[in-house]
Amino acid sequence: MKGEPKELKLIVNGKPYELKVKSKALLSDVLRKDLKLTGTKRGCLESTCGVCTVILDGKAVRSCSILALQANGHEVTTIEGLAKGGKLHPVQEAFVNHGAIECGFCIPGRVMVAKALLDENPNPTREEVRLAMQGVLCADVGYVKQIEAVEIAAEKMRGGE
Amino acid sequence: MKEFEYFAPRTVEEALSLLSQYKEEAKIMAGGQSMLVLMRQGLVAPEYVIDIKGISVLDYIEYGEEKGLRIGALTTHRDIEKSHAIQKHFKVLSEMERNLATIQTRNWGTIGGNLCYGHPTGDPAPVLIVLNAKLKLAGLGQERIVEMEKFTKDILEVDLRPDEMLIEIQIPTPKPHTGTAHDKLMIMQGDTGIVGAAVSITVSPGNGVCEDVRIALTGAASVPLRAKEAEKRLIGKMINDALLEEAGQIASEGADPPSDVHGSAEYRKEMIKVFVKRVGRMALERAKQR
Amino acid sequence: MAAKREKKSKPTVILKEEEYSIIGKPIPRVDARAKVTGEAKYAADVEVADMLWGAIKRSPYAHARILNIDTSKAERLPGVKAVTTGKDFGGFKWGWSRETRDEEPLAVKKVRYLYEGVAAVAAIDEDIAEEACELIEVEYEPLPGVFDPFEAMKEGAPLVHEDRPGNICVEYHWNFGDVEKAFAESYLVREENFQTPRMAKGYIEPPAIVAYWTDSNHLTVIPAKGSPYFPYRILSNCFQLPLSNVQIIQPFIGADFGGTKNDMVNGDFAAPMLAKKSGKPVKIVYTQFDELTVCLRRHPMWITIKTGMTKDGRLKAIQTKVISDGGAYTRMSPLSNFLTGICMALPYKLPNFKTDVYCYFTNNPSSAAMRGHGIYHTRFAGDVQMDMIAEELGIDPVEMRLRNAIKNPEPGKIYETINKLTLATCGIEECIEKAAKVINWEENKKRERVKGNKAYGIGFACGTYLSGTKLSGHNACAAMVRICEDGSVNYITGATDVGQGSDTVTSAMVAEVLGIGLEDIDIKRVDTAHTPVDPGTYGSRVTVLAGEAAINAAKDAKRMLLEAAAKEFGVKIEEMDIKNKKAFVKANPEMSIPWARLVRMACYTTPGMVIVGRGQSTRGISTYGLADFTTGMGDIGTNYSFTAQAQEVEVDIETGVVKCTDNSVIAHDCGFPLNPPAVDTQVVGGAYHPGVGAALYCEFKMDKGLTLNPNLVDYKLPRAYEAPMTKVIHVITNDPFGPFGAKEASEGSTCTAAPAVINAIHDATGVWIRDLPAKPEKVFWALKKKGEKEKKK
Repeated sequence: MKGEPKELKLIVNGKPYELKVKSKALLSDVLRKDLKLTGTKRGCLESTCGVCTVILDGKAVRSCSILALQANGHEVTTIEGLAKGGKLHPVQEAFVNHGAIECGFCIPGRVMVAKALLDENPNPTREEVRLAMQGVLCADVGYVKQIEAVEIAAEKMRGGE
Repeated sequence: MKEFEYFAPRTVEEALSLLSQYKEEAKIMAGGQSMLVLMRQGLVAPEYVIDIKGISVLDYIEYGEEKGLRIGALTTHRDIEKSHAIQKHFKVLSEMERNLATIQTRNWGTIGGNLCYGHPTGDPAPVLIVLNAKLKLAGLGQERIVEMEKFTKDILEVDLRPDEMLIEIQIPTPKPHTGTAHDKLMIMQGDTGIVGAAVSITVSPGNGVCEDVRIALTGAASVPLRAKEAEKRLIGKMINDALLEEAGQIASEGADPPSDVHGSAEYRKEMIKVFVKRVGRMALERAKQR
Repeated sequence: MAAKREKKSKPTVILKEEEYSIIGKPIPRVDARAKVTGEAKYAADVEVADMLWGAIKRSPYAHARILNIDTSKAERLPGVKAVTTGKDFGGFKWGWSRETRDEEPLAVKKVRYLYEGVAAVAAIDEDIAEEACELIEVEYEPLPGVFDPFEAMKEGAPLVHEDRPGNICVEYHWNFGDVEKAFAESYLVREENFQTPRMAKGYIEPPAIVAYWTDSNHLTVIPAKGSPYFPYRILSNCFQLPLSNVQIIQPFIGADFGGTKNDMVNGDFAAPMLAKKSGKPVKIVYTQFDELTVCLRRHPMWITIKTGMTKDGRLKAIQTKVISDGGAYTRMSPLSNFLTGICMALPYKLPNFKTDVYCYFTNNPSSAAMRGHGIYHTRFAGDVQMDMIAEELGIDPVEMRLRNAIKNPEPGKIYETINKLTLATCGIEECIEKAAKVINWEENKKRERVKGNKAYGIGFACGTYLSGTKLSGHNACAAMVRICEDGSVNYITGATDVGQGSDTVTSAMVAEVLGIGLEDIDIKRVDTAHTPVDPGTYGSRVTVLAGEAAINAAKDAKRMLLEAAAKEFGVKIEEMDIKNKKAFVKANPEMSIPWARLVRMACYTTPGMVIVGRGQSTRGISTYGLADFTTGMGDIGTNYSFTAQAQEVEVDIETGVVKCTDNSVIAHDCGFPLNPPAVDTQVVGGAYHPGVGAALYCEFKMDKGLTLNPNLVDYKLPRAYEAPMTKVIHVITNDPFGPFGAKEASEGSTCTAAPAVINAIHDATGVWIRDLPAKPEKVFWALKKKGEKEKKK
């Protein structure tokens, strides 16, 4: 029936959820409003800025460009799911320590893209890091520190210092 | 965005059954990377959305030397980009995908969704055209094959009946000594091409003369444009830079590009010349190596 | 009115660099963790119980009279809780200054730009609010409009504001020395026209606001505002509330750049009004489409610059004419246009200067401040023309800049420009030398420019930016440092960190002065009910001026503690100090008491003490000598930063596509880098986003008031793949008028990036692009024209 809320079952940050959502609800709406996970930002709503990026089944996707119902039966990781027991993920740590954060609005989306990249490719070239960062817009850092932070995190995750 | 009735069929039959029931009132959603933008802007407002993303049988890449490459309509751009088989045998597809939008879009968007959208600037279409690709379309209890070249009819209009769905893309193994390349004019990496060109060249192994050539352009017309007159200039000849320039000139004359905020029609005409030459050169290099 | 010229106040005492514990070393940002974990709440993340969603009804005409608004259908829609129109505001008008109050919260009689807000609705969800907006029926009488300054200035052109003849928003005519005489005496006189584009601010977080009334007399607003004391005053006036009852609570802010986040939008008035009418909290969140169609833009400017030079390349005179598009309302145009001329006599010695500036009203969305405010336009023109002249005279562009550079004044001395800007420090010479060295300027001059279908070139440019801006009106700011009984410290300020790192650096100043660690300082978001007033985040003022207030407050608190310590040790206060969390007698450091114990002792020794240090900065206010807008004389800043940039580009000579390469250097004199990595990021970001953005990518395309590219794919914001890995060099001059010697960091590089890129394109290809951005098509036609010209020769 049109307008009737539909069942949505998904795992977010390791926790299973059963919700009822409108058909037209976007994944970012459900994360932010229903699950109160406001770390994932609401930006352009036009699939151009990338601040809404989350990880869906291991892949970085724009949550504003996916119907919530398409995530039914899938696993989502948001920025809130990265730090474990208060300990920051190496990507988060690198961003903090390397001064890659200014206003911070693009950071959740950017960290998720970086994490997805490094999970898939632990030793990316600079070109590959740039390509990954291309999908999330920033307005103040100039990207240099962010690209370097991803490389620093990659090295740490590979076991280097 | 207007509310709609939502279905998530798990099989092709289910999807086709829904399509034949609701026809024009329904829209298929695959990755939704193009569809959702239109729906949010109110440009498209279907009563029924048939979400086929979960039909996993349509997500595959198969290669065999005889049958060639078969790609399921729901294969993501990213999977095509990363596929070993494609990188080995159809490198041009992987290269084209690498330049398409951003990683996030490629992770969820599908090749089928892209082709059925029918946007004149879409990158897969010209590449598939020069690769001689065919598309398998299915309706309830019937199937038909359409040449990629004939699939896009006008801006955002494709040869797909209201009760039909794209199932598979079929790309034949290229003849020996064939090289294919694609490139587009971007201001920034991942941009929609202001113009784009895909070229496939087959040379004779003995004397290097061009036996076959296919040129397809984006940003040159309201649909991906096959530059047949330009091709004629090259067939049967030893291709060199001067000849490629002539071909580019002919292709440019045969084009009717749009003017928009990214470039005027005149500029696009000039760029068609540049890209026919550049991509033609790349294709020729590759043809000689095979 | 002639500017009062008195001596600057006593300079801040500066310790020697080696003696700093925190300042001058990498300081981790105090808010980084909250941002990287997603805990940081921005305005759109704020949720309040019972909250309604607001939506704004916008005009479909760029210029029209409003004949009637019928909201009855909207009011009847189930789920709608309140509707408001312009009339609800009782004739209230607001503006950036008292004399320029020409804008209404929602348009009442006339709309002056496309999508201007005329009504708003609050409903139980976003969908109903949007639907209700569509049910509001508005009758308009469309009017002819003017859409650029050249239409606006025509005789008999339609007037945007009936009481503003000729559509003139603001004009300036300044004259220093005698330019005509200087031109007559010049060896070379050259005049060019340049154009800067209409730009979006570029921040990724669109405006958002949550508003509610705790009772009929107390308003609380949680807005994405870079300067909360702007809405504090404006809403107080609008709703006729005493300032004490207006509470602006600031969430984390997704950048500002002097744009909409400083200044009000329709939603900022609609949300409180709807909250008042409905009795419930109301939230309005703009989309990026809203931002790109109705929010403030950087003025597009048409600059004619005439320069007279001696034979050996020294400036004799500059004359500029600037025409700018101010859009529909005055806003900050008086300041934006003033800034085009005020720093023209920096960073080069300039003996004669004349300017005529004209800003026009048009039926476009309003123009206002943006990073690199005002100065970037004429600096672009000046530094590109300098290269043109260098070419004509056969002088190396770097050498020419060195010949004209203002020398760093000797300690204790001041350099004064022809329009009475005073500099205690000016590191531009060192900046130029260092940047040129690192980019290998001399060797690169000789190299082959063309490789295949690509051409490579390096461009050089210099810039300046005012720091710690001094404006009229209320410009004081204050801070408090509250020392808790256990030794932890609350640093309370009204200054806002919009991402530039001011919270971190001013907290560090407090910790440095108190002699404790940064981790001991707690800073909270601004809340106007509890924090002292601060003018806001603009004019590169926060670190310099709010920093001064923080230092004074810390000194005050320190004094109270040292009083207790001195008493305990039987010495005078001057004989003691606090460092590394220990208070000690300077002559005999074993006589010491740890920080926590000192604090407890001070607090608990009968009858006890409440330690709250208070400090103000008054450098920003009029008694220190104001810049005179009418004559263009006097300091607009407390001090001035200097920047030299060298940037290489790669030009695809077949397509015209220009890319910055990683061969990129910026030498920046910010006095003393308080937090070096933060300075680096600010300098790099300031050059890339608004600077290279203007040079290569960004422009709004308009058609009779309609924005043709209102999305972030058609309006290109600079991205990561194309970002140059710029090297930053710090040039240290230790300015006596900034806290710890500091001056601003980064608006200066906004002013150098565009001319550096344009000069680089010329170095690579021989073509000059005079109107930004240098998009591929523009470069392509310029190359083609040049090629045809050369064929004819």
